[in-house]
Amino acid sequence: MTLTLRDSVHLVSDPGNLNSSVSEVFETMLGVGCEPIQSSASEFLIGGFESVTAVVGFGGILSGACVIACKELSARQIAGRMTGMDFDSVDDIVKDAIGEICNMIAGAWKCKVPELAANCGLSVPAVITGRDYNLHVQSPEFKIFQVYKSDEAIFQVTIVCDGLL
Amino acid sequence: MREIRALIVDDSSVMRKIVERSLRQAGLESLIVLEAGSGVEGLELLKAKQVDLILSDINMPAMDGLEFLRQLRSQQLATGVPVVMITTESSEEHVSQAIEAGAMGYIRKPFTADQVKQKVVSLLPAL
Repeated sequence: MTLTLRDSVHLVSDPGNLNSSVSEVFETMLGVGCEPIQSSASEFLIGGFESVTAVVGFGGILSGACVIACKELSARQIAGRMTGMDFDSVDDIVKDAIGEICNMIAGAWKCKVPELAANCGLSVPAVITGRDYNLHVQSPEFKIFQVYKSDEAIFQVTIVCDGLL
Repeated sequence: MREIRALIVDDSSVMRKIVERSLRQAGLESLIVLEAGSGVEGLELLKAKQVDLILSDINMPAMDGLEFLRQLRSQQLATGVPVVMITTESSEEHVSQAIEAGAMGYIRKPFTADQVKQKVVSLLPAL
C-alpha cells in the first residue's frame, strides 16, 4: 500500500499544530512563552524593513518549507534570549540562532503527524538577510501563516507545502 | 568529581553553546568541552584527543551525524565512549538508525537541561 498524506491533510494543515510547535520551542529553548497574534496589522509585517528570514526545507512525503521571518531587532532579541548574549547587529550568531529556531519549529511541527514524522526529512537551515524580498510558491497545496509575539520579539512563521503524496 | 571531557558535534555554534550550558547545568562542573562543527571535524579531533562523552547532531552538511557515528566505529575511534544524538529528527526510524550506528542515547530538540542531565547521568553513572 502506498503511503499517502492525502487523508490527513486536515491534520497537517491544522494551524494549532504550528502554534503548539512554536510555543514548545520558545518555552523549552528560550524559557519564554509565545502567543499567536492578529496578523492583519501591517506594522507586524517585515516588508520594507531590514529583516532576517530562515528557511528549512521539507522533503519526502511532503515537500515544502518552514519559513521564519522577523525584523532585525526581533532577530537580535530572540538570539539574545537564546544565548544570553547582547547583539548590536545581525551577526553570524544571530543568523545561526534564527536558523536553529526554524529547524526546531520545523522538526516539532512535522512530529505532530506520525506519518510526517517518519517520512519527511528536513534540510539544513538557510538564512537570508535584507529587505524587500518575497517568498513565492506557485499553487501550493496549502499554506499556514501566523504571526507570533514572544516578549518584545515579533516574528512570522509560514509553512508552505508545494507537494504532497 | 572527576573531570569529564565532552565532544559536541553540531554545525550550529549556538546549539553547541546551549548543549554545553545544559551539561554544566546538569552538574558537570569539571567539564572540558571540545567542539566540532561537522562530522569530519569531529573525527579529526578524536584522532588526537580522548573524550568521555560525545553529543552529536544528525542533520549536518558534509557528513551527517549518522555517518559520523559509522565512521567512528569503522575507524575504531572513541571505542566504548557513549554517544548521544541530539536532533530535531525523532521518528522511530531515525532513532533505530542511530542505535544501529552505535548511539547510546537520543535527545530530541527542543530539549531541557533536565533531559540532558538524565541522559548523561544514565550514561556516566560514576558522576
